Amino acid sequence: MHMADALISPAVGGVMMAASAGAIGYSVKKVKEELDEKKVPLMGVMGAFVFAGQMINFTIPATGSSGHIGGGILLAALLGPHAAFLVLSSVLLIQALFFADGGLLALGCNIFNLGFYACFIAYPLIYKKIVKNRFTVKNITIGTILAVVAGLQLGAFSVVMETLISGVTELPFASFVLLMQPIHLAIGIGEGIATAAVLCFVLKSNPLLLDGYAAVDGDKGRLASKKVVTVLLVAAIIIGGFVSWYASGYPDGLEWSLERVAGTAELEADGSAYRAAAGIQKSTSFLPDYGFKNGGESSARAGTSASGIVGGGITLGLACLLGYIISYSKKKLNVKANNVNQ
Amino acid sequence: MSKLTTSINKIRSLEELAEGGTAVHRLHPMAKLITTFVYLLAVISFDKYNISGLMPFFIYPVLMMSLGEIPYRAVLSRLLIALPFSFFAGLANPFLDRGTALYLAGVPVSWGLLSFFSLMLKTVLTVSAVLILIAATPMDRLAGQLTRIKVPKIFVMQLMLTYRYLTLLTSEAASMMTAYHLRSKEQKGIQLRDVGTFLGQLLLRSFGRAERVYYAMKCRGYSGEYQFAAGDKMKPGDYIYAISVCAVFLLLRRYNISVIIGSLIEGGIL
Repeated sequence: MHMADALISPAVGGVMMAASAGAIGYSVKKVKEELDEKKVPLMGVMGAFVFAGQMINFTIPATGSSGHIGGGILLAALLGPHAAFLVLSSVLLIQALFFADGGLLALGCNIFNLGFYACFIAYPLIYKKIVKNRFTVKNITIGTILAVVAGLQLGAFSVVMETLISGVTELPFASFVLLMQPIHLAIGIGEGIATAAVLCFVLKSNPLLLDGYAAVDGDKGRLASKKVVTVLLVAAIIIGGFVSWYASGYPDGLEWSLERVAGTAELEADGSAYRAAAGIQKSTSFLPDYGFKNGGESSARAGTSASGIVGGGITLGLACLLGYIISYSKKKLNVKANNVNQ
Repeated sequence: MSKLTTSINKIRSLEELAEGGTAVHRLHPMAKLITTFVYLLAVISFDKYNISGLMPFFIYPVLMMSLGEIPYRAVLSRLLIALPFSFFAGLANPFLDRGTALYLAGVPVSWGLLSFFSLMLKTVLTVSAVLILIAATPMDRLAGQLTRIKVPKIFVMQLMLTYRYLTLLTSEAASMMTAYHLRSKEQKGIQLRDVGTFLGQLLLRSFGRAERVYYAMKCRGYSGEYQFAAGDKMKPGDYIYAISVCAVFLLLRRYNISVIIGSLIEGGIL
């Protein structure tokens, strides 16, 4: 679900960057208030843990597909939401820099989509409400699965909105959403089960590591009405996701959804209303620029466009030639230097 | 398992590249950070049908990679991760945006095809630009600059710790994975029922490690406050580099060199 730089417009990237920076600033303030000097080394090591943990795939029985743990809820349940958000942000930054998994300008989007919803919405409103200081296997399992699913649903919806507002894809909103949400529901359930399994293991082996466990005073609270509301809310999200259900073994939900849309002939037919919308989008697109916009209408413009392509090819050729010359002469110089040294 | 070990290798090879001593490596990290951001912004601000305007932007990755001695296959392996995502996001465009944009040697080319190729070009350019930044700048120097642009110290600190322990924990996970596979029959991943125990073990080990890291830090005078080396100042050359390169990007953004060259040639031939 990591977005690349090419998929967003500067405006979307900027806004999301500002939003994520704000959330980071707030989290830093909160973590500092805790005054726990042990926390920072723990956060660092946990970031590395999530990074490694997400590369360990497990097989989902009877489906033939595989999944991995979700980082957000797991970290929040261990470190608390604020520290978890910071850890996730740095993991995403490292993934963007070293693995091109998500872009640098899109970092704000990715932090928000994968970190904010999980740590600041799903964790406090779902996991916390369901567990309610009664750390049992049942509570943790239900709370974790629902929180992971809800966080992923919100994140997937965010991806749809950011991509559409950026205007890089021609996919209509409805089909994009209907394809993104169900596939991320499937992924979310897989991630949720795995995450719950890890947290239950922690509960059995060293429950003090769980966020909020130490504060439990043995009070056995009853099923609060808030909890019922939360369960209903989550149920609504899940049922919404079920509107169209596709079981899938594809590794990435976004790719799978998009491929699916591109492959359906149905969409091509109802193009007229969409074309009007596309027309509006074309004329209002961010930073309207020289392009091929009117190229089809007048032959003069078409000529310019064609010459643009010819020129583009030449420019690219020149750039490559220049690079080749530099590399070649550098190699020569190195060889010469080596000879002199010997 | 291979996924774990390849990721370790990727980090190591990028680290080795970043230790190089070329002119690109010697530039101040802040200068590179600024130019990378201006470059990325310039590239993604092109409208979705533009192809010719993007072409001149290839000059930056090509120049920097040959000057910085960054191998081209590094770009390819990163594109393998980034490109499929953009590919499927753009794949619908040729199907849905079918109006004819222009005729290229008599063959009609649709708007959707143009926007699809434009998206692919943008992906290649942005992925290469980030690669150049990280392959020519060691991570600790880059992180040092983050405190300069007012990123909170506590964030930078745990970012560096995460980065430091990545390879360690990943190789720990890799050896656990090997052990698991040796004990189980032909299996691709980990059985769902073993996930809790497997990752839980790794988690407990990580907590133990964090504890030891904390004590080691404590022994070296850590008291909850973090000190960063001030880092070297930007030299005049760095300023000149940053300003002139950004100016070139803005000029390329404003004036379409491809069209200028193209029309000069057409004018000459026709």
